Amino acid sequence: MQQQGLIFDVQRFSVHDGPGIRTTVFLKGCPLRCRWCQNPESLRPRQEIAFFAERCRGHGDCFAACPHAALRRSPAARLDRERCTGCGDCAGACAAAALRRVGRSVTVAELLAEVSRDRSFYASSGGGVTLSGGEPTLQMPFIRAFAAAATGAGLTVGLQTCGAFSWSAFAPLLADLALIHYDLKAIDGRLHRELTGADNRAILSNARELAERGAPVLFRMPVIPGANDTADNLEAVARFVLGLGARRLHLLRYHALGESKLAALGQPRPPMPDDGLASRHAEASLSGAVRRLRELGLEVST
Amino acid sequence: MTVTVSDRVRALDRDIRAAAPHLCAERALLVTRYFKTRADPHQPTVMQKAEALRFLLANKAVHIYPGELLVGCFTAHRVGGGLYPELHGVAVLEDLFAFETRPVNPLRLAPGDRYRLLAEVLPYWVTRFLAMRAFPLRRALAFVKDQLAPRFYLINETGGVSHFVPDYAGLLRHGTSGYRAMVARELASVAPGSAEESFLRSVLIACQALEEFAAGYARKAAELAGAETDPSRREELREIAATCRRVPAQPPETFREALQAILLAQIALNLESLDNAVSPGRLDQLLWPTYQREVAAGRLDAQAAFELLGCFALKLCEIVPAFSRRITRFHGGLFNGQVVVVGGQDRDGADATNELTMLFVELMDQLRTRQPNYHARLHPGSPRSYRARIAAALAAGAVSPALYNDDVIVPLVRSRGASLEDARDYATVGCVEPVASGNSFLSTDAALVNVPLCLELALHGGRQPRAWQRTGAATTAIAGCAAIADVIELLRQQLDFALHRLLDDLGAIERANGRWHPTPLTSMLLGGCIANHRDASSGGATYNGSGIQAVGVVDVADSLSALDHLVFRECRATLAEVASACRNNFAGAEKLRARLRAAPRYGNDDAAADGMVGRVMTLFADLLRARTSWRGGEYVAGFYSVTAHQAFGEVVGALPNGRGAGEPFSSGLSPQSGAERRGPTATLCSMAHLPLAVAKNGANFNLELAPWVGAEEQGAAWLGALIDGSFAEGGMQLQVNVLDPAVLIEARDHPGRYPGLLVRVSGYSAYFDDLSPKMKQEIIDRTMYGRPNALSRHS
Repeated sequence: MQQQGLIFDVQRFSVHDGPGIRTTVFLKGCPLRCRWCQNPESLRPRQEIAFFAERCRGHGDCFAACPHAALRRSPAARLDRERCTGCGDCAGACAAAALRRVGRSVTVAELLAEVSRDRSFYASSGGGVTLSGGEPTLQMPFIRAFAAAATGAGLTVGLQTCGAFSWSAFAPLLADLALIHYDLKAIDGRLHRELTGADNRAILSNARELAERGAPVLFRMPVIPGANDTADNLEAVARFVLGLGARRLHLLRYHALGESKLAALGQPRPPMPDDGLASRHAEASLSGAVRRLRELGLEVST
Repeated sequence: MTVTVSDRVRALDRDIRAAAPHLCAERALLVTRYFKTRADPHQPTVMQKAEALRFLLANKAVHIYPGELLVGCFTAHRVGGGLYPELHGVAVLEDLFAFETRPVNPLRLAPGDRYRLLAEVLPYWVTRFLAMRAFPLRRALAFVKDQLAPRFYLINETGGVSHFVPDYAGLLRHGTSGYRAMVARELASVAPGSAEESFLRSVLIACQALEEFAAGYARKAAELAGAETDPSRREELREIAATCRRVPAQPPETFREALQAILLAQIALNLESLDNAVSPGRLDQLLWPTYQREVAAGRLDAQAAFELLGCFALKLCEIVPAFSRRITRFHGGLFNGQVVVVGGQDRDGADATNELTMLFVELMDQLRTRQPNYHARLHPGSPRSYRARIAAALAAGAVSPALYNDDVIVPLVRSRGASLEDARDYATVGCVEPVASGNSFLSTDAALVNVPLCLELALHGGRQPRAWQRTGAATTAIAGCAAIADVIELLRQQLDFALHRLLDDLGAIERANGRWHPTPLTSMLLGGCIANHRDASSGGATYNGSGIQAVGVVDVADSLSALDHLVFRECRATLAEVASACRNNFAGAEKLRARLRAAPRYGNDDAAADGMVGRVMTLFADLLRARTSWRGGEYVAGFYSVTAHQAFGEVVGALPNGRGAGEPFSSGLSPQSGAERRGPTATLCSMAHLPLAVAKNGANFNLELAPWVGAEEQGAAWLGALIDGSFAEGGMQLQVNVLDPAVLIEARDHPGRYPGLLVRVSGYSAYFDDLSPKMKQEIIDRTMYGRPNALSRHS
């Protein structure tokens, strides 16, 4: 129960991360770097500081509060990320909430207490807790301990994962999961690397392992216009899913939600091909994918 | 259930919605004429009052409108408000030359009425209305002047008591003939010439008044039937005549007779005293035996009953309260508070939901009328179908019913002395106030108190900033406080000072109501009065007491939390700095204000911030407990605010929770708008974990949900789960709003005003404020056009 995990948000009344009313725990750190990432604050596996320039009122309290002299006068580049340790002293001093700490450490016991507060709503709705991220399996010992404790306390636990984990480390977790949302982006290895910066061999083999064991998996796929909505990829995904003996695929619509957060986190803009275009085409791309995948024999939900 | 609003009811609804509300002079003129020319001053007041009611009911205009099945009019106009010159009517007449032209709630006057009110009514009552009789002249004048623009408290009881659930079960069982027999028996046991005898005789006059009122409608219906050319309408009019000849004198035998008897009594009670919160109560229970009997006999079916219930509901829409602009600030919204309660437990604790309950739920969804104010009781044994139907209606944007948790409220009613059976048979009155049905006279809306004003006085040594003189207690300077407990002690002293003055004034009003405004008809229909030989206004009912509302408790608690956090824990500011910033409405102190706003606040399931609200609630309730009402029974605290949270807010300067001078307080025990940041379950937990046992007079909790919740396929299920989860946590009451796109637009134009507003993006929900302008626009567009986007609904 004393095991530490790093999370960046606990969102209550989540109703789209599994059945019923749920609390979604966002764990920090991700092995992928998807070009469309909507939660860039989830990527780095450490506490960091976000600076929202438009909220800054120029009070200047942050300069005095920073023990590492990591703040600069320029509002365009307030944080010297080389020096910043993410301690959060500046965020505590900022009255305007322009500086915010992203990420906090919690023990299993603390997190369990926090998610247990909505226990009555899980009971009345058939809901529970969903671990999301980031990529929760990057903190495997923590989530294993948490899932065991939560299950022991009568809560049901779900997991949202990109599948990039070691099977042997994951296997003991399986018994404590009531559902797994398993995201597939691309089947072709080269395309996957191009879009996410990572290899997909483990992702595909873990999917097979789960399917073989009859785990409660729902495969999902974000549909990104101009990236993974090609006829080839859709066919490959359909073939792969059907090949596992699964029938359902849940599609996620693309949103340019991550955009505004990138600057705040001092991350370079990922190379999304003409972002405005992607946004405008998101709806058409999604409905095209739904149609095609249904033709290929899948039950598609959105 | 396959019942639909009939064409007849739709037509009645259309007519009522189209009718311009009037200020009706009829009641004032008749009552004045009675007291000026007919009353025998040697007769006891209670009998004069009964005779006045009889005179009014016998002489008021009788209208039967096209298509009506149930008859009886509150006023001479299709939609109107009466005037109560012996109570607060004189004060209402301050708008005599503005009723038609005022922008909010304009009221028309019939030709000549303005003159008659001015010439006949005003001169007679200006020296005789209740406030004038409660106090010596100079004090009375000062009191009236203060109460028209109150700062510390508003004593609603100056306008009469009302606020009760009549014993309509008794009326249906006995009819007035039964009450006559009952009174005759009691008369044998009282001394001739005693006050008890006068009271009992006044009840007999009230019986006669009600019978004559019905007879007038029987005559009118028969007369109209004679002239009617349409044979089916002629038959309806004949049936109306027959019904009004039988009830309320005899116990009703049919469903229609039962509703007609209740309606006539409801009108008469509204005319006897303050036309506010005469609440019919648990109609699904009262009418159930008659309904079952009639359905079994094949004389009634669900659709016919549904039509009659629709006719009844629309009748209750024909009355509006006539207030002046200044009074409207506190009681806005043309609200008469006639509560109909459905569902819940029966007297033995078993589930009481029946077919009629479902008809009512259907009615409130299909025929969304202003009145009655529908409430639904829930307990763990409430059937799924009932819960689901309510959740579906609310998710689709119906704002009725408001929801009440038996598990919390039954013990609360018990704690005021009611038996377990009576407590289980509770109904609600006016806005939210729970009372045992048919035998409680609890003046639930006796007064409203401006609690944040007391905090302001505590911050500034008893004197409001820029005030000429000290109006609060002479408390010590805030700078001397070393802990938040010291600040709370100053608040306690100010509150104690204000409540003492309030209870002194209220005591005088209670005595004046007992002496000058007895209500024999009300007393006949309140269990205890006949047996005790005493009028309700003098404490004759079985259960007595008085409810005082604390307005602005959440703002006070959030202010204390902010002071505790910033001054005593983080030491980022001093009390003097905060007090000074408040005095200057945060001019030049934007940073301090931002820090105060960022402190922990109620509504986020934060134990410390929520606990502070509990502390202020308990403080208020404990101070009230020191005194008892003149009628008997305790003063209990309520935590609902009508619209007083806005009106009282106007006279209070900036507060340490960051609220600016003159801005409204939060409503009831709902979080201050903009304070909730963790979504609905957190807010519901905050509400449920308050010490609700001290909220004996009730409280209101608003739950506002984003429109996507209602728009989604599972929206009703989620909403139902929110309600059930909240009540399982110990929640007391809920009123649900599924948000309107207009709110989203406001949220877009004023970022920060709704930081807790969750919106559906895709695959997850996000706080609206956290979205890019483009995304916000997309969300607004979705809700604006109401197109259920099948593809992005889930993900």
